[in-house]
Amino acid sequence: MDELEVLKKQWQSREQEFPKLTAKDIYPMLLKKSSSIVKWIFIISIAEIALWTVLYFLIPESSKKFQEGMGLSTLFTALNIVNYAVVFVFIYFFYKNHQKIQATNTVKKLMENILKTRKTVHYFVYYNIGMAAILMFITNLYYYFNKEQLYQILNSDDLFAAVPAETFILFNVIGGIIIIAFLILFYWLLYGLLLRRLKKNYKRLKKIED
Amino acid sequence: MLCKRLYFYEICNITKFVATNYTVNPLTLTEELEHSFVTQLEENQNIVHKICRLYTNDQEAHNDLFQEITIQLWKAFPKFRGDSKFSTWMYRVALNTAITLYRKGKRKIQTQDYEGVSFKITAEEYDPTVEEQLKLMYSAVKTLNDIDKALVFLYLENKNYREISETLGISEVNARVKMNRIKEKLRNILNP
Repeated sequence: MDELEVLKKQWQSREQEFPKLTAKDIYPMLLKKSSSIVKWIFIISIAEIALWTVLYFLIPESSKKFQEGMGLSTLFTALNIVNYAVVFVFIYFFYKNHQKIQATNTVKKLMENILKTRKTVHYFVYYNIGMAAILMFITNLYYYFNKEQLYQILNSDDLFAAVPAETFILFNVIGGIIIIAFLILFYWLLYGLLLRRLKKNYKRLKKIED
Repeated sequence: MLCKRLYFYEICNITKFVATNYTVNPLTLTEELEHSFVTQLEENQNIVHKICRLYTNDQEAHNDLFQEITIQLWKAFPKFRGDSKFSTWMYRVALNTAITLYRKGKRKIQTQDYEGVSFKITAEEYDPTVEEQLKLMYSAVKTLNDIDKALVFLYLENKNYREISETLGISEVNARVKMNRIKEKLRNILNP
């Protein structure tokens, strides 16, 4: 490859024209904030963990009343305890992985560590979406088999008095599916935009080793 | 006698230790670190400029990337032990920033694109054929993907395959094979 050798020779022997920065130009740069992808991943991951944790506090009172009336409150309390344990385990792993991201690693290792950190948060989101889907399925199935009881509770509520039990279950299921689909779409977009280039480059590096 | 002398020596050392550790206040230590960093970056800034030129297309993006590389270098600097040369250590952090950490395309205004490589020319070495060849080759390199570009860059910087493999995190044999494939790729770009 003669042309590349010519370029290499000139690259070595001749200087290129670049702006010459002095110490005075460099000092202020040290004070500027990084806008690197790692920072964004950190912010988004924390936001995701916070969002899913906060969602548990936002379950409306009326829904709690239904659960109580249907005899499900013990189940939900147990689930809450399991859930907090899971949140803490995820935060721990997220923190551990995030600590490992360092610009002084090899290019490949750095990419691996970033992807690993993201994966931890992904699993957390998968866990939450999966949990929400399973829970929705089970409660509605339970409502369906205990229609009489549900009908009584609905009747005692001003808002739902006129609603038949079947319609209530149907709306419950449709609403749940829409929310979960929306979350998956939102998540997929966010994730895709942020890591597309990194993933592509990581695949290229992996391919060299295969 | 020997014992006494050793004892005296010890005392001297302890006094020296105490003196150096308690007279230097933390502020000057940070200042010293900053000064040492800035001086070394100033000396080696062309390495960063070359990477910026290769990975961006206009002056604004160039400055942006330079800024981000500086921040990443500065963040990692306390861990730089000096067991390798500052420049060697720099290659890794700078390439990591250009390939992985830097977010491209966040700027809205596109300023004037660069023409290509711009070597300084002295009157006696000017040869239009060579200059043309250089420009073509450089723009061919710029069309490569991020990883291939890193390999070619290190090759142009006269790094051996061991250093290339250590920077990227691939094996030496694979770095060599990959470099041959890139040469083939460049040949195809230049002579389609």
